[in-house]
Amino acid sequence: MELQLEPVPTYEKPAASSDSALIAAAISGAEPAFRELFRRHTPHLLQFVTRVLGASRADAEDVVQDTWLRAYPALVTFRSESSFSTWLCSVGLRAALDSMRKGKRHVAESLFEEDASSDPPATEDRVDIEGAIAQLAPGYRMVLVLHDVEGFTHEEIALQLGIAPGTSKAQLFKARRVMRALLTGREKTDVQ
Amino acid sequence: MYNDETVELTPEERNALASLPREMNPGDLLEARVVRALRNEGHFGVAVPRRNGLSLAWKIAAGLALFAGGVATGRYALTSDVPQSASISAPASQNRDAQILTPRTEPRPVRHNETVVAEREMWL
Repeated sequence: MELQLEPVPTYEKPAASSDSALIAAAISGAEPAFRELFRRHTPHLLQFVTRVLGASRADAEDVVQDTWLRAYPALVTFRSESSFSTWLCSVGLRAALDSMRKGKRHVAESLFEEDASSDPPATEDRVDIEGAIAQLAPGYRMVLVLHDVEGFTHEEIALQLGIAPGTSKAQLFKARRVMRALLTGREKTDVQ
Repeated sequence: MYNDETVELTPEERNALASLPREMNPGDLLEARVVRALRNEGHFGVAVPRRNGLSLAWKIAAGLALFAGGVATGRYALTSDVPQSASISAPASQNRDAQILTPRTEPRPVRHNETVVAEREMWL
């Protein structure tokens, strides 16, 4: 059978293009446009996923790949109501959650149980804030990163994680207490 | 419940959170990996069979001609004289045996299809 390559859509000046133009070109199959979109947004996505997962870079890269594999076919559904970066992080969050639920990260089945311990890990060494976030329980870490680092509202977090806004608030408060204990040293903070 | 005063971020904590790096260099390998994975899923100018309208019409016509020829051949075989075709295809030894086994009696009147059925049973 005669095989011929479909003509690749033309695409020029990727650096000067807006996200919308890149998305439109990528949807039509322009690989350079997708690559530019990837280069523009993956650095933040990779940092976000790494922080949310508290994972190694290799694990985070797997989730980032999964994120783009989900995001590309869904580009047609993207509306400019939010920034593309926010939308992509939402896709990345779902990919991260699925990764955690598959047991790759060996976390509890329910990330947001109300009776989850709010005690910090047994260490009296001060850690930097990145280390403190990484040591949080997965449910705490996720809500804290989304709210205090990425700037999501509790309603948005609730929507993304499939929990009640009140649960998001409760998780955030507990996460902040644990993080504070880790930052200041456990003996200096009453976390009970 | 929760005391907001104890869970509000201090200015130091806010600064520390704000100073966190927002980006991490993914490197070229990850980009190549993702693009390859997307290609494997059929995106980005994957080779697809291009349908030529003329050649497709010829293929359809050839298929129809073959089908019609098969139908015509089949009809011809069914309506042709069966004893004649049987005598052509039967081995000579079997023809000889059949002649021996056939009683040499006067031909009796038979019904229209009787002979055909008997010969078909003999050869098929």
